[in-house]
Amino acid sequence: MSENVCQHFRDYYKEFGSVTFDIVHAFFSVSTTTDARRRKALSCLCYTCGGSGPQLFACLHCIYFGCKGPHIFDHLKVNKHFIALELSYGIIYCNSCKDYMYHPECQTIAEVHLRNEAISLNKSLSWRPWAPNDVDINLLLANPKRRHTSGKSTIGLRGLMNLGSTCFMNCIVQALIHTPLLRDYFFAERHECSLKTSNKCLVCEMSRVFQEFYSGTRTPLSLHRLLHLIWTHARHLAGYEQQDAHEFFIATLDVLHRHCKNAKSEIEKSERSKDKKDISKDKEGVTNPAHCTCIIDQIFTGRLQSDVVCQSCKGVSTTIGDYILTSDPSLFNFHIVADPFWDISLDLGEVPHGSGVPKSLIDCLERFTRAEHLGSSSKIKCGSCKVYQESTKQLSMHTLPIVASFHLKRFEHSSQIDKKISTFISFPFELDMKPFMSKVNDSLGDYLYSLYAVINHVGSIDKGHFTAFVRHHKDVWVKCDDHMISTATLKDVLNSEGYMLFYHKKVLEYE
Amino acid sequence: MTLTKVVDQASILQGDRSKLKDLLRLRLTECGWNVEVRLLCRELVKEEGGNINVDKIVQTVTPKARNLVPDSVKKELLQKIKNILQEQMTDI
Repeated sequence: MSENVCQHFRDYYKEFGSVTFDIVHAFFSVSTTTDARRRKALSCLCYTCGGSGPQLFACLHCIYFGCKGPHIFDHLKVNKHFIALELSYGIIYCNSCKDYMYHPECQTIAEVHLRNEAISLNKSLSWRPWAPNDVDINLLLANPKRRHTSGKSTIGLRGLMNLGSTCFMNCIVQALIHTPLLRDYFFAERHECSLKTSNKCLVCEMSRVFQEFYSGTRTPLSLHRLLHLIWTHARHLAGYEQQDAHEFFIATLDVLHRHCKNAKSEIEKSERSKDKKDISKDKEGVTNPAHCTCIIDQIFTGRLQSDVVCQSCKGVSTTIGDYILTSDPSLFNFHIVADPFWDISLDLGEVPHGSGVPKSLIDCLERFTRAEHLGSSSKIKCGSCKVYQESTKQLSMHTLPIVASFHLKRFEHSSQIDKKISTFISFPFELDMKPFMSKVNDSLGDYLYSLYAVINHVGSIDKGHFTAFVRHHKDVWVKCDDHMISTATLKDVLNSEGYMLFYHKKVLEYE
Repeated sequence: MTLTKVVDQASILQGDRSKLKDLLRLRLTECGWNVEVRLLCRELVKEEGGNINVDKIVQTVTPKARNLVPDSVKKELLQKIKNILQEQMTDI
């Protein structure tokens, strides 16, 4: 980028090098230490007016700070100094050219300072604009055709052929394809797979399906390879009968999750053979399956907390996980057991004691998280009373997933009769999960979710058809009915019966 | 000492200024403000035929860019600043 640097700065750099830039930048632009912050707060003030900003420049020839405008520019002019540092962004300014410039060596120094500042403040590095590497640049040069997407563009929409009662698969695939974070994952080519397993890997197949959806082709896509992979890896779904979309969804997530892990361990294995020193490290990774970081777990896994309250002493034992944590035993026992979930199945039948049938998603969730009396026949040994006591059990959300999916149990299977419950359950476009949390932490932002996909079932329990509504763009909804894609309104979506509901977290937290 | 100066110093001292800046940058990226402002700048550069410098772009684009910042972002930042100052007051 040497052409971006003016002759004046080149002369300056030859004479003084980068020492002054280094020090001024580390103290007054980004402040890499506590001492630097103190100095910045107390002495980084305009020498003309004493103000602290909003935008200050530092002269790189002498010790002088000045507000943007006459304060700094007059100084530079009068003293015939011409190189200054803009302090808000840390960019070099040349007063002779009246312009800013990027100098590669100084940029490198600035990057180091930003990293040091992040370490000193114990925060993550701030957002940086995307800097393409050589591979990216070559790819862009080799593919000069650009696509412009607007609110009306249909890119990313594609019908799916029905391969004989495969609407259960088609609607789930449509919902997955329209999951923003999953799309980002696949388009960023984050999945790495060794070549010998890639044609058996469902994650690789999903990646191909994403490419097909965004290829611009309009003819319906046939998912026979995907279906075959599911048949091979989830045997209970094989065959030509009608299947349940919910069952397919869970099976697909499970296979994707397993294949992510496989691919990861394959790659680790090949790395291990290259470098045999790190065996102890690998062991740790293998024996800790609870902390899976695969994309499926990152997006879909939430955790439930279950509190069992002893009715005689009101002692609470909490279960959240498969690891057990005991607090002061003289008080209560805390058993923490991880109860991870990918979705939540909600009952629609009559509530045993009280308020009739649920009418909305909120009703269902309230019922799901209500304290439930375990009854006299199932007494539990209380940790503090040391005897079997009657108790209540209550579920709540310990950790919410990024995508919260709800399954309304419309198919009722009992010993006498299998039937479908078609009652109308209203569900909101925007859902606040705050009331259902075990613990509310306000500093962690909100618990708001917005609807992005709804799967519907029409027909009876043994003969029916699945369709999906998906959000294509903001405020643009489409209905996917196998190979037919048609526009829909939010009203259509909210008035539909609803079998599975997919909500995406509105604001994402950064780690 | 003016109020702005006190606020400036207090926020720089604890490193909060830098964290707030990060948060603002994130929110503006998330809501698409960055992309909109980049488009404004590109249009301007095209109009002027490349005969333009940073200060001129900043001067022309700033009023429009300010208007494009969503109210929710402004509110969140304001609340965060208030909280931080309150915390610091109680510390002293």
